[in-house]
Amino acid sequence: MIKIENVSKVYKNGTRALDKINLEVEDEEFVYIVGSTGSGKSTLIKILDGEEVPSSGKAIVNGTDVGSLRFSKVPIYRRNVGVVFQDYRLLPRKTVFENVAYALEVVDTPKKVLRQRVREVLKLVDIADKSNAFPDELSGGQKQRVAIARAIANKPKILIADEPTGNLDPRKSDEIISLFEKINTEEHTTILIVTHDVEIVRHHPKRVIMIESGNVAADLPKGAKV
Amino acid sequence: MFRRFFHHIKEGFYGFCRHIGMALSSASAVMITLILIGLFIVLTFNLYAMTSSIEDSITLSALIKDGTTIQSEDLKRQIEAIEGVERAEFHTKDEEFDYYLETYNDPDLRAFYETYREDNPFKDAFIVYAQSGEDIPHIKDSLSKMSAIDEVYDGGDNTYTLVEVLDNVRIVGGLLVGALCILAIYLIYNTIKITIASRSDEIWIMRNVGAKNGYIRAPFLVEGIIIGFIGALIPMLLLILGYIYLYETYNGLLFGAFSLLHPYPFIFYVALSLLGIGVIVGFFGSYISVFKYLRLRR
Repeated sequence: MIKIENVSKVYKNGTRALDKINLEVEDEEFVYIVGSTGSGKSTLIKILDGEEVPSSGKAIVNGTDVGSLRFSKVPIYRRNVGVVFQDYRLLPRKTVFENVAYALEVVDTPKKVLRQRVREVLKLVDIADKSNAFPDELSGGQKQRVAIARAIANKPKILIADEPTGNLDPRKSDEIISLFEKINTEEHTTILIVTHDVEIVRHHPKRVIMIESGNVAADLPKGAKV
Repeated sequence: MFRRFFHHIKEGFYGFCRHIGMALSSASAVMITLILIGLFIVLTFNLYAMTSSIEDSITLSALIKDGTTIQSEDLKRQIEAIEGVERAEFHTKDEEFDYYLETYNDPDLRAFYETYREDNPFKDAFIVYAQSGEDIPHIKDSLSKMSAIDEVYDGGDNTYTLVEVLDNVRIVGGLLVGALCILAIYLIYNTIKITIASRSDEIWIMRNVGAKNGYIRAPFLVEGIIIGFIGALIPMLLLILGYIYLYETYNGLLFGAFSLLHPYPFIFYVALSLLGIGVIVGFFGSYISVFKYLRLRR
């Protein structure tokens, strides 16, 4: 569960990215976070990911207060929060299998479990046939599937995707959102998708949180008109 | 545990090979620094041996006044009670005369001076050994104040000056070794900084999926150690061969006066120290670099 209480974030240069924001996301919920550039969406993601700490207020994620999280505890915290970005960030010298396995290797997963889990997630994201391919040999949509597979390999409770369809055509975007829905259902993962793409929100209706100027401008339930 | 250990070693070598040009240039810079460090260590230890030997040979001769009533054993006790005195040896005027004659190799000259034994101009004396060269001036001062002592002779100001100069060279040498170590750390620090920048994507992924800082740090530390290790190999070899050559060419006596420390085991210890310095410098250089990088990002 995510609970944001009166969270403000003011950067060193004086920019107020978030201003006493409040929101709650239940376990296994699927939520879109929409807003214009500079609205504070990225800062919100950084706080949820443990990369930034709130200047004031409380951000409780899976029972952990991110603000009081010690530096040394951040890695453990991150194992429960997967993040996917628009630019995929795959390792070019590693195959699809190795890219996904890497996420499990760094947390000391036993080899046998690792191989099994990688096969499982590659199947889940529907890219098992490309497991020996290198990122350069994949399309944008396939790369994003690999990035998603890597993000969920450690079975995080929350998966945050920052503009995951930003580089994809409408058909591929639609497929990727369907994949997130599948992960939400099958892996019981809470999904937060930050997007500009209103069409996607309309085709896959879910709860929508609109952020403007560091505030929650609207919190629309599933099915409401966007 | 072993799997992780070998993984870090493998990744460290992988990182080294991937930036081999940069790593080798850094290792070369470390190599030059370590050659200088090695030279200073050799110089410092040899100077230390020289100054110690000179200091050990510095003695004071305290000549006893003729007709003094005090017993030599009592005087010996008084002298040995002076702070900084290691021991005092009593020499009769005849013994002093014998020592004087021994300084002549020519038997004719000895026979000539022997004729003066009846009118022996020497006095009974105490040869006073100091614990260190620094104690000589105040011992001399204390001896001069004793009523039974007529005159006190020491090695002379030149000896002190030499000891002082050698001491200062030794201190400067030590400081230079320290400064060169810092320079070597800085060189490795910069190399690892570039390596980190080129692997920032990988580090980002590691952090993103929850790798602990120690896991991220380890391959870079291995890489730094490899650079330091490689940088130390040539200086080790040069130092061992060079020192043995120097020692054998000059028969262990530099400028005909300063005896060099025997190469075995001295130079091998110095070479091992260089290897140790290389590895430690490599470790610290990369540690500071990766620590700073990780500390700046949560």
